Order: sequence, then structure tokens, then C-alpha cells
Amino acid sequence: MSTSMTPRSSVPRQAGPDQAVRGNGHGILAAPPGMPQSPLEESSRRSRWVVGILLAVALLWTLVPLLWMLLSSFKNRTDVTSATPQVLFAPTLDNYRNLFTGSNNLGPYIWHSVLAAGISALLAVCLGALAGYGLARTQMRGKKHLAFWIISTRMAPIAAVVVPLFLIFRGLGLIDSIPGLVLAYLTFNLPFAIWLMSAFFAEVPASLEESALVAGCTRWQAFRTVILPLTKSGLVTTFVLCLVFAWNDYAFAVVFSGPNSQTLPIAASQLVTQTGIDWGQLTAIGTIVVVPMMLAGLAVRRWLVTGLTLGAVTGE
Amino acid sequence: MARVLYDEATRVYPGSTQPAVDALDLDIADGEFLVLVGPSGCGKSTSLRMLAGLERVDGGRIAIGERDVTHLPPRDRDIAMVFQNYALYPHMSVADNMGFALRVIKVPKDERNRRVLEAARLLDLEEFLDRKPKALSGGQRQRVAMGRAIVREPKVFLMDEPLSNLDAKLRVQTRTQVAALQRRLGTTTVYVTHDQVEAMTMGDRVAVLKDGLLQQVDTPLRLYQQPANVFVAGFIGSPSMNLAEYRVEGEEAVLSGGTRTRLTRETLKALRDEGTDRVILGFRPEAVEVVGDADKDHTTFPVTVTVVEELGSDAFLYGQYADATDPALREETVIARVDPTAPPSKGARVFLRIVPGKEQLFSAGTGLRLPT
Repeated sequence: MSTSMTPRSSVPRQAGPDQAVRGNGHGILAAPPGMPQSPLEESSRRSRWVVGILLAVALLWTLVPLLWMLLSSFKNRTDVTSATPQVLFAPTLDNYRNLFTGSNNLGPYIWHSVLAAGISALLAVCLGALAGYGLARTQMRGKKHLAFWIISTRMAPIAAVVVPLFLIFRGLGLIDSIPGLVLAYLTFNLPFAIWLMSAFFAEVPASLEESALVAGCTRWQAFRTVILPLTKSGLVTTFVLCLVFAWNDYAFAVVFSGPNSQTLPIAASQLVTQTGIDWGQLTAIGTIVVVPMMLAGLAVRRWLVTGLTLGAVTGE
Repeated sequence: MARVLYDEATRVYPGSTQPAVDALDLDIADGEFLVLVGPSGCGKSTSLRMLAGLERVDGGRIAIGERDVTHLPPRDRDIAMVFQNYALYPHMSVADNMGFALRVIKVPKDERNRRVLEAARLLDLEEFLDRKPKALSGGQRQRVAMGRAIVREPKVFLMDEPLSNLDAKLRVQTRTQVAALQRRLGTTTVYVTHDQVEAMTMGDRVAVLKDGLLQQVDTPLRLYQQPANVFVAGFIGSPSMNLAEYRVEGEEAVLSGGTRTRLTRETLKALRDEGTDRVILGFRPEAVEVVGDADKDHTTFPVTVTVVEELGSDAFLYGQYADATDPALREETVIARVDPTAPPSKGARVFLRIVPGKEQLFSAGTGLRLPT
């Protein structure tokens, strides 16, 4: 599974002819040096350019707003609202300092976000793994429909469930509580986790757990010692994605949370007041919201890539 | 070590009316190497998985030793299984793979390491113990899978086509190694394969299955010499037996044109009891001799050679009945082993004679072997 591991086959691998060709940097379609370029070569070169430009545009589209947010969070009030965009300025930590001092300290919001998103993602992964495993291994009629029904509950717009959930939560006394938010986030994270994990488990050959069963394992032991370690990338991928979904939630938090459970996105929205918008602090919160998720993504990038492309567990 | 008993063991898959394994009766002796063989879908793998406990038994029972294991989970059966794809745990080293079963049943570490090392020595795997499976070649992985089974010291080895992922040459080598290893360990083994050569070379006895039904279980030689029915006759042996249906006239079967083969009194009686004048006659490619023009008589038949396979040690001619009056017979291919030093040429017309007493007779109605 680890990408850093180099296979040490006892049979020495020879550099095959295809590798030699690939080595010249023109791809396998490259014509030998001195030969006129084929139309195929020409068009593949052009398509590479097109792809490169599109990627660059997409990258700018994604990064520039984030970068601008990061820069703005270190600007003072005049710089941030200046009519001409300021790229060079005297950086200040005032915005961050202001967020953590005064009557409306950001600390509790961060804590609420960490708790609600973290616990809900963890629960989603644990329950999703169990349900996904069951779904992947069960042979029954209408399994496909069941799987689709599960993921289809994820497709309903949040607005559609907010009101009924609000009534249920009020009855259960879950309004303005972290458990309430965790439950609310599970409504969209759990179907997703089940669906994703079942795809990962389906990739693990059934003979691996059969082999463990014959070796003396119970089902649970086989699941824990053989299947789970092989789906590590799936577990990490699912956890991170669930974490991001829950962390970014605004719609549920704005309805269900109160002073004891308000999350970071709520704090951001509170800076948009009728008397004006504190852009400096808003971009600082934005940075605080985005940076941890980016770091989490970077930290597990290796598993995310293999996880999102699946097929990482066949042992070949 | 133990005797294995299938007693009318039956498996019907949900949603199917036809049993995948239909009342299988097999009595496998302690230390025996039994091969289950048959075409795909014949129920051989299902039979093995029933013994492993990976497949439910819907009827009958299965016993290992004195113990009825019909409804026991796999882990309580004291068996070890080698899978077709080896099913090595990719996240564990070779040593951990081999010691896995011992770790599960909490064998102390020293004992575990000793047994793993012993098996690794036996299989020439010592230098690979720290590697992960993906850093091994196909043959090495296969040996690790074998090692994992050996370390367990189980009552029974179950092997599900363990050689089918190897290339042809390695498969032949490994075939003898596995058979030798089994003789040495003396552990009862049930081995599944679709390859009849593997079955014949490895098994003490071979059980032939078709459509979930046991056709015959016997030593390789007896399967070859006295197949119980037309299916076994055609399945065992390579190239396969010549089998075709002929008309019976008086006391003789009419082969083609003027060629006749005399039938014994027992055979004729069986045919009379069945009330038929048709018989299936089979002969192995080596049970015919090529005769010169001068020696032809009413027991020889002419064949037009279409293909000659020269293998060096052997040569086989493939041909068509040259003077068949029966249209069905004209479609039949005759295979005969011929002298490899002087094989006939393609397109030639040769005369063949079935070596007397080497023909095999089967009922055209039931396919069962007829008395001779």
C-alpha cells in the first residue's frame, strides 16, 4: 500500500523498450530522433498545451481568492478597504488579536467546530465502515438499490430536512448542543461514509477474509486484523472528507446551534452586521477556517490520492 | 491428520433449483491426496468450500476425523486452505503471513518463529521472510501460501487450484513439489483443479464431478482404463478418447463402411436388456494401430489425415472416417497415436485397426459403461 515501498523482486527488472522510449520526455508516441514528426505527435503536443493552460486557469481560480484572503487578514483597516488593491503593505496581527480578545472571543467557536466536526466525522467513519463492510459483503437481491437509496439520502438539499430535524431536535432537547450538531452532521456524513467505505471494501478480495476465517479468526477478528488495515486509505479519505463537510457546514449550525454550540462559520457570519462588515476580521476567520482543512488534506495527501482513485488494496 | 467424509453433502445456492453439489459421497482416507476435478461449474470448488466451512451445507453432513463439522464455523475445523489467488495479506511480511494462524490461536512467539522458520526452510523461503508479498514473484507467493498452510499443522489441507496462476513450466515443477511435500507430511489433502493432467499426476485418487454430481472416484489409472461413463472417458486422458455412437448389427458394431467390431456376449445381453441397437464405442488414441494396405480386412477402417501433431516422443494423427455412411460419423474426428519416427503426412489415407480388447463400450441411452 505504501507508495514509498520499492518492489524488490528477485527477478531483476529490465528496462523494457517502452520505458526507454518514455524516458525521452515526449511520451510513448514520440518519434525517434531525426524522423519527421507525425500528425499524431503534433496533436498530442497541442493537447498537452491546452491541458496545461486549462490547469493553470483552474489553479489561479482556486488559489487567488484564498491567497487574497490570507493577505487581507494581515492588513490594517485602511489597507483592507483601500480602493486600489494593496499587495505590499505593513503586516499586522491586529485582526487575529481582536478575534481572541473582547466580549466575543473566537476560542469557544473553534472548540465547538472541532468537537462537532471531529466527533461526527469519527462516528461517520466507524459506523460507515461497519455498514459499508456489511453492504459490500452481503449477497442479496436489490443490493444495488439499497446502496443507491443510502447515497440518495445524501442528495436531498439540507433546506428540505432542516425544519423536520429542528422539530425533532427540539423535542429531544438537542437544540444548542454539540451532540445535536454531531447528529445533524451525521445525516449527511453517514450515507456518504457508508457508500464510500463499501466501495473500498468491495475492492478487497473476499478470499483474504476467508483465508483469515480458515486460519482461526472470527468474523470480527478477520475484519479488524486483515480487512481494516487494508482499507486504511479508505478510512483516512472518508474521515477527511466527512471532517471537511462538517467543518464547513453553515446551514445546520445556523438553525440548531446557540451560544453553547456555535461554530466558526457562524462566527464569521456574525461579523457581517447591519453597521458594516469588518473585512479584516472576516478574512482572518476565513483563514482560520480554511487552513486546518488544507493542512489535514496535505497531511493525508498520500492516502487521499490512492483513496480517491481506489484500487490500492489488491496487494499486487 | 484425519479421515474426511462427505455423506450426501448437498449445496443449493439461493435462487437456484439445481443443486451446485448434489448428494456428494466421498470417503477420503487419512493421509490421502484426493483430487476433485471437472469442468468449470461442476461443483468442485463448492465441495471444497463446504469442507472449509465457507459454504453452507444444505443437506447431508461432512465429518473431519470423528467430528461432524457440518455446521461448524471454519475456524473450528482445524484445516488450512491454499487459495487460487493465494490470498496473502498484503500488509504483512512473509513471516507474519505464515505465522498468522498461529498468532490467532495464541501460540507463544518462540514456538511460532520456530515453526515459521522450519516451513520457510522446507520451501526455500528463508531469505524472503521479511519481505511483503508484493515484492515476491508468482512462484514465491505460491510457496508462501503453501507455507502458511504447513505452519498450521492442520488435520486437512484444502487446495483450490493453487497452481493455476503459475506459468506452464513452473506449474509442472511445482506440481511434483506439492505432491512430494504432501507425501512427506502425510497430511490428508483435498485438491481442486480443472486440469485433468494435474489431477492424474498428483492424486492418490481422483474424483470426477460434473453438474454437481460425482461421476467416479478412483485411482488415476483405473479412471483411465475403466471409466464409469462416457463423460469420464472423454474427460480423462489427453488427447481424449475417440467416442462415437454406432449401429449394432447381429453380434457386431458397424464402425464405418464394411468395418465391424465383434461385441461380447455380456455386452450384447446388456444392449438387449436395454432394448437398443445403438452403442457408444470408445478407443484411446494409443489403442489403434496403423496397418498397411496389404493387411486391411473387416476390422480396419480408412481415415483421411487432416492434422498431424508431432511432439517428438509422440505423434498424433487427427483424421476423418473416409468411408463413413452415417452422416453423423462423417463429422467425427479420429485421433490416433502413430509412430513419431514415421508419421503419415497430411491428406494421406491410412488404415487403422482398434487393438482387440482395447475398445470401451458405453450405453447410448445412459452413457454408463457396458460389461465386456
